[in-house]
Amino acid sequence: MREESHERALQLVDKMQVEGLTAAEREELEAHLEICVHCGKRARETELALRAFRAAAPHFDSSLVLRTQMQVRLRAHEIIENAARLRALWISCALSWVLGVVSAPLMWRGFEWVGHRLALSRVVWVTGFALAWVAPAGVAAAIIAWRQAERAIGSRQ
Amino acid sequence: MNAVEQDAGELVGGLRRRDPALIDYLIEQYRYRLFRYLLMLTGHRHEAEDLFQETWIRVLEKGHQYKARWKFETWLFSIARHLAIDYRRRRQPESLDALLQPVDTGRPLEVEDTDATSAFEQAFQGEEAERVAAALAHLPASYREVLTLRFHEDLELEEIARVVDSPLSTVKSRLYRGLVMLREWLKDIYV
Repeated sequence: MREESHERALQLVDKMQVEGLTAAEREELEAHLEICVHCGKRARETELALRAFRAAAPHFDSSLVLRTQMQVRLRAHEIIENAARLRALWISCALSWVLGVVSAPLMWRGFEWVGHRLALSRVVWVTGFALAWVAPAGVAAAIIAWRQAERAIGSRQ
Repeated sequence: MNAVEQDAGELVGGLRRRDPALIDYLIEQYRYRLFRYLLMLTGHRHEAEDLFQETWIRVLEKGHQYKARWKFETWLFSIARHLAIDYRRRRQPESLDALLQPVDTGRPLEVEDTDATSAFEQAFQGEEAERVAAALAHLPASYREVLTLRFHEDLELEEIARVVDSPLSTVKSRLYRGLVMLREWLKDIYV
């Protein structure tokens, strides 16, 4: 028998397990294995190795399931709480924005009046107005960024 | 009732709603398969247990991303794999390149593990456990991974490629090389 036919048969032995064979390939392999002891031995070794591999059963600690289910439920509860907190935050942000827009003309007049009373230049009281308007949002953004950074560090540890 | 046979829409809806009863059921259903996959991937029992828990928490958090066109286990193993890579990256930042290398050197995910044989010996039961444990300890993790997905999980090659995020050719090459190594280690197991 030619060397190439053995090589081909051995390739088909592996291919049968990894990808599967076409009908023609299966026929070709079976015909070869009927007359070739060496390739037949390899085919058996492959099957037995895979049988041993499949039979190897890791020991599973069943308490792991309960522990995991508990952790998942805790996390689910946390997610629901966070979502509620986030919803409240969004609502308060929206309300504060509406309130800010509505009160802006009044605040403008208030700053203008204080500016005149204290004889401040226009640049000063306009800057004061801008800061008073932007500051709450800036502080809130800084707090959110700080808390997010803290959470990211916590999850990395 | 098997989750695979379960109505895909129901599964997608339940995951999106973060239905705790569904997730409890999935943990029960896939407990052994996920743990075996993680053990094969990491070679460490405690690491596999930690990752098992993290994987289900991630399933809870990212459930809305699951698409019914893939089998649930394909998605599940893919999540577990990403977590395993992150876990190693956190523990061994210097091996980041090794973790991410796309070239099939057969050693992505591999770390120095002098105690791998005993880790597998402790984990596996059965008559041939010692021999199988020794063989597994000598196989690179990337080979163990595809072997378990193919021969324990019976996943299609395309599904394996999706889990390991590699081209089909890489998956095949790892499977062929892994099979050769496994056979070498176990060839006289029944003699």
